Amino acid sequence: MNVKKFFALAAEQGIIESEVVVTKNSSLSIGTFRGELENYSIAVSHRIKARGIFNGQMGFASSKKDDKDTPSFLVKQIKDGATVSESDDLAIIFKGSPKYKRKNMLNPAIQEIGEEEKIKNLFLIEKKLKEYDARITEVTVAYEERVGSTELHNSHGLKLKENGSYFYYYAYIVIKDGEETKTGYHVHLDNKPEKFDIDTFVAKVAKNGLDKLSGKPCNSGLYPAILNQEVTASLLQFYLEHVNAENVQKGSSLFAGKLNEQVASKKVTIIDAPLTDNVFYSYFDGEGVAKFNKAIIEKGVLKTFLHNLSTASKFGVESTGNAVGGTGKIGIAPSQATLKAGKLSFNELLTKLCNGFYLTEVQGLHAGMNPTSGDFSLQASGFMIKDGKIDKPISLVTVAGNLFAIFNDILEVGSDSELQLSGFTAPSVIIKEIAVSGE
Amino acid sequence: MISKKVALEVLNIALETGGDFAEIFLEETLSSAVIVESGKTQPVASNLNFGAGIRILKGLQSVYGHTNNVTKKGLTELARSLSVSFKGERLLEVEKIKKVRVNNKHKIEQNLYEVPIEDVVNPLKEADQAMRDYSPQIVRTQAGITREVRKIAIFNSEGKQIEDTQQRIRTMLFAIAMAPNAFETSYYAPGSYQGFEFLKTLDLKAEAIKVAELAVRKLDAAPCPSGKMPVVIGNGFGGVIFHEACGHSLEATSVSKNLSVFSNKLGEQIANKAVTAIDDGTLANEWGSNAVDDEGFKTKKNVLIKNGILKNYLIDQFGGRRMNMEQNGASRRQSYEFEPTSRMSNTYIAPGKYTPEEIIASVKLGLYAKSMGGGSVNPATGEFNFACDEAYIIRDGKIAELVKGATLIGTGAEILLNIDMVANDLKHAAGMCGSMSGNVPVNVGQPTIRVSEILVGGQGGKLE
Repeated sequence: MNVKKFFALAAEQGIIESEVVVTKNSSLSIGTFRGELENYSIAVSHRIKARGIFNGQMGFASSKKDDKDTPSFLVKQIKDGATVSESDDLAIIFKGSPKYKRKNMLNPAIQEIGEEEKIKNLFLIEKKLKEYDARITEVTVAYEERVGSTELHNSHGLKLKENGSYFYYYAYIVIKDGEETKTGYHVHLDNKPEKFDIDTFVAKVAKNGLDKLSGKPCNSGLYPAILNQEVTASLLQFYLEHVNAENVQKGSSLFAGKLNEQVASKKVTIIDAPLTDNVFYSYFDGEGVAKFNKAIIEKGVLKTFLHNLSTASKFGVESTGNAVGGTGKIGIAPSQATLKAGKLSFNELLTKLCNGFYLTEVQGLHAGMNPTSGDFSLQASGFMIKDGKIDKPISLVTVAGNLFAIFNDILEVGSDSELQLSGFTAPSVIIKEIAVSGE
Repeated sequence: MISKKVALEVLNIALETGGDFAEIFLEETLSSAVIVESGKTQPVASNLNFGAGIRILKGLQSVYGHTNNVTKKGLTELARSLSVSFKGERLLEVEKIKKVRVNNKHKIEQNLYEVPIEDVVNPLKEADQAMRDYSPQIVRTQAGITREVRKIAIFNSEGKQIEDTQQRIRTMLFAIAMAPNAFETSYYAPGSYQGFEFLKTLDLKAEAIKVAELAVRKLDAAPCPSGKMPVVIGNGFGGVIFHEACGHSLEATSVSKNLSVFSNKLGEQIANKAVTAIDDGTLANEWGSNAVDDEGFKTKKNVLIKNGILKNYLIDQFGGRRMNMEQNGASRRQSYEFEPTSRMSNTYIAPGKYTPEEIIASVKLGLYAKSMGGGSVNPATGEFNFACDEAYIIRDGKIAELVKGATLIGTGAEILLNIDMVANDLKHAAGMCGSMSGNVPVNVGQPTIRVSEILVGGQGGKLE
């Protein structure tokens, strides 16, 4: 779509300020099963999102169709959508930040590697997994890569472009041992193919499944616990919905009115770190504001809410560069939020806890977690910890608690930080206690 | 969207290297959401999804690609780059394409987008107001309507052209109640394959009051006790238990690869005799219905379990090849951006002989899960979980105090045997189901049922 033509048409219709975001992606995915290439998929996609101010209100539209009628379709939808709107959100099209930390995250090496080699890797992963342990009976392996760009243009002349790329290998195994069935999986996500090591990957997949064998429910009770990186990062994701300034302003955040107060354990420091050099690096937000790293919670004290232009303006502060351009509104989200690591290794955490529960996996977060109240009750699995060592595996139990209580009760933070697929990073942590329900 | 001539050319390019089946799936979907939040109408956002997916099958291999460039050039390029993944001689040439008449019986009285915007906004404003008026403890509310008109066209190497238009509408009410330092939420979200007349079937204002009332009442609820106990699961959305505990494990996606606990078990007793379970994509105007599936086959009523015996699976064309079984109209995809696979439509447990009152009266000490939230399952182990949205303790056969934060977990194989009483009050409820081929609208449904024993998780300690 010709962006200038869109801006001109919009202006002609009374939409004086407007913005267009174009995302383009090309992707490849390959899957193998039982020594055969099972799925092969390629895609080219293109999406145009547009918004604009009409009579003081913002209107939104998006289209994956790009032909001569697209500009007029978008203009009409924006105008109709804005006409009915009575939103309190301030309608702002941004003029630009003084400085942007531009970085090209496109790694051409991903596409330079031939498809044959990627397929060869999948077969090799399958073979190595089958050889790893005779109890591994079925193996599904997949590879996916995506290369793309996001371009933001607005009627103030702001032009920003971000290129990105990533690939991942995924393997899923079924393990059968007598009557018992367990599954395991692992995903390696990256944008540097040279960092992918097949043997390390295979060992992680196998361990993820095999360690669960003979897992049984434990006795119900309150246990002191270690949460692994993945579980901690998942809880962090929900916890941070309460630093979203829109939730604060609309009355559904438990952090409202608590800036500069102690809201969590002194061991808790949470950084919003969009400029971390990895596959999630991103330097401008959904409104074109420059992203930057900052502490959200420092030693348990709430330092800032996360803002877009509208919420920031209502609080008389600057945007924190956390706007997310949705199709119907400008939302707010953390960008590479990180629970800052401590000094203790995982083994030192085990020694310190001595006896308790090691929670390694939770299921059903979309239903068993109430992000508004912070209460959760989730299917879980893990291990008992006995005399400072990992003991028998536990499965089919539930853990229940409250997010705010958990972050208040973090007693130690490990040094074993790990970036998750969700873009959140966390180390293992020791918490005072968690309610486990089993036998 | 494209002519028969272009389709023919694209299909034949796709088949150049020995594919035994090729298909073009075209889609144009206009969706929009109207939301009133705490009294204020939000900007209406419209989204046009448009594109095509091409699939080529050869034995047990499939290749798939999609593009927004729905022109002769875009599609022929895509077909060519997909076909190079097979290395062989042409097996098949499509000579002619014939349009297959689709008998779409789902009645639409008022097209979703032919409605004045006030008729959409006003009932939402009224419902939103009703929630806020209920109590000063209601601090945030939302009332919304989403509309979707999905036009699809399928051309395949069997020489078929199949076209269909699907319309879906869903309303949503959501309230947050607050006490000092605590929040609770409640919601209501019915949906239908229907025109705008769907709204006339609902009493949104009355439902809004119920939503607000429950959110406020939950503020004073005690945490749910935990441990193994008998559980009565209410009708309607309670059917999510069958959806998670069993439905996903009956999809060809996992069954065909021997990755399901129910692989190779046709004809075996897998559930209690009280259980008959059905997936029916043909139900008139139901949220999960369609005239044809996303491969263009007529949807069907598939009896999956009859009196506890496994009778059938949900099978798509590709999954059926590995199983040596025919497809049964169960192939679905969120959009052209997904390769289709076997999925549920309207899944439910058939009504039994008890009244809901008899079932509740049969439990001395246990849980009544009146309405459920969502859940998830691992089809290989059958381990599932789902969350209760509204639950009460049953004491001496009577519904007693409201409790919050309950989750039920177990394994599918075990729970199916433990469903030992089924009532006569079958009801369906709308939901969205996410799996390999994306998010698709599905109904879950059941009458009130009793599960003799299941593990309940909550923060409330032992049930006494």
